[in-house]
Amino acid sequence: MAARGKIKLVAPVAVPGPALFSVLKNVWNKNFGWSLKQPYTSRASHGPDFGDQSWPPELDSLMDPLVVTRRRILTNIFLRGWMKVGTWILAGLIVAGALSPKLAWAVISAGTLVAVGSVAVVILAWRARPTAYEAACRLDSAAVLHDRISTAVHLGAVENPDGMILRQRQDAVTRLAAVRPRALFPVQFPPAARRALVLAAAAAGLFVYRIHYKPPVLALLRTTARSQLVQSILSPIVHAMEKDLQRTMTLIKSNPDSPPDKVRPGQAATTDDLWKASEDQGSNPENGQQDSQEANAGDQMQDQSPSGMQGAQGEAKPSDSEQQEGGDSQSQQSSNGTDRMGGDTQQQSETPNSENSRQSLSKSLMQALKNMLSNSQSQEGNNQANQKQPNSQGMPQSGNSRQPGSGEADKKGDSRGASDAQQKATQNSSSGAGSQQGSKELKKNQRALSVNAVPDRVALESNGFKEQTRMRMDSGAGVARLPVRDVSPQAVAVTNGAEQENIPARYRWYVQHYFEHPENGQK
Amino acid sequence: MEGQKGDNPLGQQAESLAGKMQEVRAEISKAIVGQGEVVDGVLIALLAGGHVLLEGAPGLGKTMLVRTLAQAVALKYSRIQFTPDLMPADVIGTGVVQENGEGRKSLGFQPGPIFTNLLLADEINRATPKTQSALLEAMQEKQVTVAHTSHQLEEPFFVMATQNPLEMEGTYPLPEAQLDRFLFKLRVPFPGREDLHDILDRTTQGSTKVVISVIDGPEIMEMRRVVRTVPVAPHVQEYVVKLVLATHPEGRENLLANKYIRYGSSPRGAQTLILGGKVRALLDGRFNVSMEDIRALLLPALRHRIILNFEAQADGRTTDDLLNEIAGKISQI
Repeated sequence: MAARGKIKLVAPVAVPGPALFSVLKNVWNKNFGWSLKQPYTSRASHGPDFGDQSWPPELDSLMDPLVVTRRRILTNIFLRGWMKVGTWILAGLIVAGALSPKLAWAVISAGTLVAVGSVAVVILAWRARPTAYEAACRLDSAAVLHDRISTAVHLGAVENPDGMILRQRQDAVTRLAAVRPRALFPVQFPPAARRALVLAAAAAGLFVYRIHYKPPVLALLRTTARSQLVQSILSPIVHAMEKDLQRTMTLIKSNPDSPPDKVRPGQAATTDDLWKASEDQGSNPENGQQDSQEANAGDQMQDQSPSGMQGAQGEAKPSDSEQQEGGDSQSQQSSNGTDRMGGDTQQQSETPNSENSRQSLSKSLMQALKNMLSNSQSQEGNNQANQKQPNSQGMPQSGNSRQPGSGEADKKGDSRGASDAQQKATQNSSSGAGSQQGSKELKKNQRALSVNAVPDRVALESNGFKEQTRMRMDSGAGVARLPVRDVSPQAVAVTNGAEQENIPARYRWYVQHYFEHPENGQK
Repeated sequence: MEGQKGDNPLGQQAESLAGKMQEVRAEISKAIVGQGEVVDGVLIALLAGGHVLLEGAPGLGKTMLVRTLAQAVALKYSRIQFTPDLMPADVIGTGVVQENGEGRKSLGFQPGPIFTNLLLADEINRATPKTQSALLEAMQEKQVTVAHTSHQLEEPFFVMATQNPLEMEGTYPLPEAQLDRFLFKLRVPFPGREDLHDILDRTTQGSTKVVISVIDGPEIMEMRRVVRTVPVAPHVQEYVVKLVLATHPEGRENLLANKYIRYGSSPRGAQTLILGGKVRALLDGRFNVSMEDIRALLLPALRHRIILNFEAQADGRTTDDLLNEIAGKISQI
């Protein structure tokens, strides 16, 4: 037994669904339920109802206490039911008074509900009234009569009772003579009476308030809507929604797959006309403003793209960003020379005549700088890809200053850039070097950039390492030692990625470059 | 009312029963100190027509209680010391060659010690299951069958068995069928301080009290008939049914039984509760069974009819704990 006592099998603590449901149901019925039945009724449900039955003469003295007990129980049931109904009506009245602008309707509905509720409570209480047997059970429990009265009531229906039943009736009558049912079953207000009183006071106060003022909840909502706090919370949301709408409209307008015959009126279809159109648009200040807005929209879209992360990383690496900026400036100049995109922001900055163009100049410069910073990582990959292609063809490296129409991809890009003037912002952001690449290449570059966003140090989950113990092996010539268990935990700082410093530099360089240039790595 | 009371022989018998039992109790208390619940349980089982299994450590007065009861009720008494080599024929009897007056020999039945009114089966769990099973028919049908011939036992037939819970080595636990035939399983507790002083005063001095017979067999049989006329209210009977059903793990809502009980109580458990409740009510001066009677008899009536599973044994749960929990939950419904 001692060994048995040590064994502690932990049984699965399972709360079965039906049990949990019954608990919740009991709580609900106890507080809000409409059932007016007494708990004892389940116990006494097998007993007969002797309401209309003629009682044996020896049980006449049992009748009076039982009738008193039944009345008291019925009264308490009625009170409890009315208190529940009244609580709900008061709660509804308070809600209606706080919300409804018309007070009269709330009062009329409450009055109607009171009338209907009264009838319902009377009916329910009458249906839940205790039988004589149930009242006897209650009396037995309250007066500690050891089920004498209930047994006598149950045996009241027996015809020609034997001596034992007669003796039992005598015993019950004798014992009941000393019992006072009125003291055992007082008329008492249910526990919910306090809650109903509080609600009644609240309803009265609300109605007094409503005589002079409007519904408080509506007034509160209006005041809250006008408050600065709510406006400060809502205004960014409104702005963001507006911007989303603008972006959506921009995307719809600048559909890259649109056929060339859908060129808007006023735009040139041929390359020569494109030059003219760009000049005209550059001289027109309104068009310049429109273009700058579109460029801004394109920049905002680009900020959401994965290359936006590269901008932050580019700030952390000044040397790389400087190089990339140099490359970008060259590529942008070359692109201006080759592509001649009419809505280019740098072209707009070169039109210093009007005031509007000055205001937009600063904005567009800022946007251009932001674009350069954010696109530095993505353009690096593009530059390298562009540099490799001329090398393979045996041409000198000239940045991105390729002649328009020298290759098929360039042809595509040039024709697209010429035909769709509103696509310029997107193209600037995606390939700031000016080398117009196809959509497939764009997607490939974006994928590579998203891989590049992984930091070179990854914080490891140190929990497992922290609790692990290390086995220290000491070995020497001719000496064999057992492994020593080192129980000292590894430091958290060490396990948080610092052990990656143990990786050889060439391997790390290879891994970084592998992820940065997956195509090279595959090669 | 008084006239009715005087014209009611059954009511008078019921009232006299309580008085008689009080006298028996007083006679038993001459030899047995304390152990009020055990004595009451034995008297209830005697009037309900059942048998009792007494479980307790050696030296607590189990055998003394049975012997004293036999003296107080003026019944034939015999004792069988159960040992591993005891055979069924040693209990119920066997056929022997007998010679009549003419010198002719025939095979006749020699009754065993079971042919008595009050049988003490001492340390019943030391006998083999084969010998233990010899009591089955006698305890239930009040008869013994030997060589295709049934022999009726004399009424009242009352078996009181004892077993020692400590020495489990070399014992044979009673089979379930045998256990179920005992009306009550009473645990004999160690006496308290005052009772122990009283025991020492009585047993270590010269004076010994003589137990007088206050009731005989026919009176007991008449009392048993009176007991069965005590009425039971429907809600009390419903309570008994719920209790017995709650010990069965098959019930969907019996979470406790599902977890700890392998087999629940048999219908004999419900019969025991009702019959014992009737006797207890009469001994208490009432003429109806109450819920308190049922609750008081719950443990002795059902504790040996429930088989716990391994989980209950591993958790250190006992049948008494589980029955109390079950009764507490049912009373709240």
